[in-house]
Amino acid sequence: MIEEFQRIGNDLFMSGLVSSHGGNMSVRLGDRLVITRRGSQLGHLAAEDLIETGLYQDDSNIMLASSEVPVHRAIYNNTAALAIIHAHPKTAIALSLSEDEIIPVDVEGSYLLHKVPVVSSEIASGQELAAVVAPSLKQYKIIMVRGHGCFSTGQLLEEAYQWVSCLEESSQVLYYCRTLGAQIKEYRRMADRYRTW
Amino acid sequence: MKGHNPIYGWVGKIARVNLTSREVSIQELDGNLATSYLGGRGFGARWLYDEVGPSVDPLGPENLLIFATGPLTGTKAPTGGRFSVCTKSPLTGTVLDSNSGGKWGVRLKGTGYDALIITGAANAPVWLLVNEDGITLNDADHLWGLDVEATTDSLLDKVSRPELASVACIGPAGEKLVRFAAIINDRTRAAGRGGVGAVMGSKNLKAIVACGSQKPAVADISGLDFAVYESRKAIKQSPVTAVGLPKYGTAGLIRIMNLLGALPTRNFRDCCFEHIDEVSGEALRERLLVKRSACWGCPIGCARVTKTKRGQGEGPEYESLWALGPECGVSDLEAIAEAGYLCNRLGLDTISTGVTIACAMEMVERGIADFAIHFGNAQEMLTAVEDIAYRRGLGNELAEGSRRFAERYGATECAMEVKGMELPAYEPRAMGAQGLGFATSNRGACHLRGNMLGAEMLGIPKMVKRFTFEGRAGLLIYHQHISAVFDSLGMCKFAGLALSDEHLARMLSAVTGIPFTPQSLHIIGERIWNLERLYNLREGFTSKDDALPRRLIEEPLSQGPAKGRRVDLAPMLAEYFRFRGWDSEGVPTREKLRQLGLEDRR
Repeated sequence: MIEEFQRIGNDLFMSGLVSSHGGNMSVRLGDRLVITRRGSQLGHLAAEDLIETGLYQDDSNIMLASSEVPVHRAIYNNTAALAIIHAHPKTAIALSLSEDEIIPVDVEGSYLLHKVPVVSSEIASGQELAAVVAPSLKQYKIIMVRGHGCFSTGQLLEEAYQWVSCLEESSQVLYYCRTLGAQIKEYRRMADRYRTW
Repeated sequence: MKGHNPIYGWVGKIARVNLTSREVSIQELDGNLATSYLGGRGFGARWLYDEVGPSVDPLGPENLLIFATGPLTGTKAPTGGRFSVCTKSPLTGTVLDSNSGGKWGVRLKGTGYDALIITGAANAPVWLLVNEDGITLNDADHLWGLDVEATTDSLLDKVSRPELASVACIGPAGEKLVRFAAIINDRTRAAGRGGVGAVMGSKNLKAIVACGSQKPAVADISGLDFAVYESRKAIKQSPVTAVGLPKYGTAGLIRIMNLLGALPTRNFRDCCFEHIDEVSGEALRERLLVKRSACWGCPIGCARVTKTKRGQGEGPEYESLWALGPECGVSDLEAIAEAGYLCNRLGLDTISTGVTIACAMEMVERGIADFAIHFGNAQEMLTAVEDIAYRRGLGNELAEGSRRFAERYGATECAMEVKGMELPAYEPRAMGAQGLGFATSNRGACHLRGNMLGAEMLGIPKMVKRFTFEGRAGLLIYHQHISAVFDSLGMCKFAGLALSDEHLARMLSAVTGIPFTPQSLHIIGERIWNLERLYNLREGFTSKDDALPRRLIEEPLSQGPAKGRRVDLAPMLAEYFRFRGWDSEGVPTREKLRQLGLEDRR
């Protein structure tokens, strides 16, 4: 399991999707979860950076777990996710400050994500954040928290990572398009429908 | 439909046909049932749990035979033409549903019924005509003994608009109560597994002709158009659903599985077949293919119309090609195809047929018995297929399935089955959690209850290390639930090789006007799975039945990339029970049942 965390964690950091000590990851093991250690560096994970704790109940390991464990628990308790990544994709964060949903215009983003909703929570962790994130993830595999970052889910860490990576790429394309200021020549037959996904 | 008006997706009516009293009654579909179980397999699980208890003989008149469509059957949803046949299995004694494509489900729903529930047994052979005017019972003396082709021809001659009619029937195997007899619809589509055909035969019901052309109402037409557009796009972009399956059919898997050392050969004693080039999907395409074929509403088109020197028909698809080929050591592609045609005509499940024959072949090779049936002998295999269907000679014994057959000769180690159902074409020792899937499947060994093929062999959604067991139970459970959803929606699982639960939820919401989410679908899948588990527990099954043939646990593979590997089932099973929220004996906890709204069913 550590190899998978290391591989994805390193990619997240090297891709600029998390800062030195930002972000966290977890996988669900039935009534338990394995989550990255509070303050761990996703780009340099070691075996002791993976903390196993209860999905429904605390144990003493909670003192070592990421501070966002309540959000991870809420997501697992409300969705079929088996893996979660919380990352800080910069362009998507920038867009989230002015948008209520990020709707990709590039081929891959349209195809894979369709639409990424943006939810708001001033508190960066805990039950308050969990209360806005988990319900959204019942419907969408990845969502943005305004000004904060994304929560992405999957059957595997690699799948959750794909949505994060795709979201940031789509957000960059949107950013470039807006910077260029030119009107987009629409190529998608049902372009107006992505908003309804 | 009670609780929902107007009705979208479902048509809102269930027909009950009592063959003993020859009475037909119509009931409204319960809206809560519809939203909690969707349709198809879900409806079957609920009705079987409520009405078919442990005292019921699967081949007795009290057993139900349920034909149920789903809310997406007959809609624009790609592959949305399917239905389930649900009953208590005469092969396993478990809850059973067997799913089929073609167009029969669409025609049934087109008559204005979501499902037919057949009860009782006729005192002489009958066939049912279901159309938009109602349901009539008709004498079938003249059809009894006919094969599927002749039965279908005869019945289509009797209806006024055969182009709108579809026939589901049994062949001689169902009439003779072969425990793995299939129901065949549209000549070549099979509700294959578990003996649904024998239950139909026990009721003296030869066929059901469905003639309906009504379309289910759709709540949000433009929403459905978009969800379908996106779904078809995904199917078109996947190399599996856009190229592999259309070009080679499911038989395209044969070479891949062989390469990975996961193609069971000669009754699971080997895992690579030395004559693979003679039986591959490529060989099928080059030598036998006439044209592609597809079920109603399917953009994939994995079915094959093929022709040999002696016959023509559909198939063989992957499982049939394997079961009647490498599993029996047979490399004669034409003979394999002809055995598949025979199974379709006579109404047999190809998997159980091939694996039961292979069981006998092994017993001969090991000197346990002296039947005229040997690995690699195509003619003997073909003869056995026919003898099984007509219960002639050795065929009469094989018709009981490999478990009963092997027990009779004190050779249980030769029976490759779980809960009495024969294993399909995946070598569990060469895959991480496929064996766990077979062991825990609610209808016996089955790849359609949660297949690890995607994650462990094809990289869908992502490739996992296939020899790693840790945590794999979670992935299997995920797929077990989504498989139950596919079977209950009326869609084909092959679409799931390209579509996500989001696609399903968006299509279902648009069709029904009820806001389903991916998560609500997973909960429905989990509810169905747990109810099926409760059914089996009530029948007396325990965690000891969540087992695998001893060979897979004790004997390491002797060849291929998985050489030296066995299935370490016990720790996986313990993890599986815990992940499911069941106790250590595999019984759902009170809390789990409460979460799923099943607390009153235990």
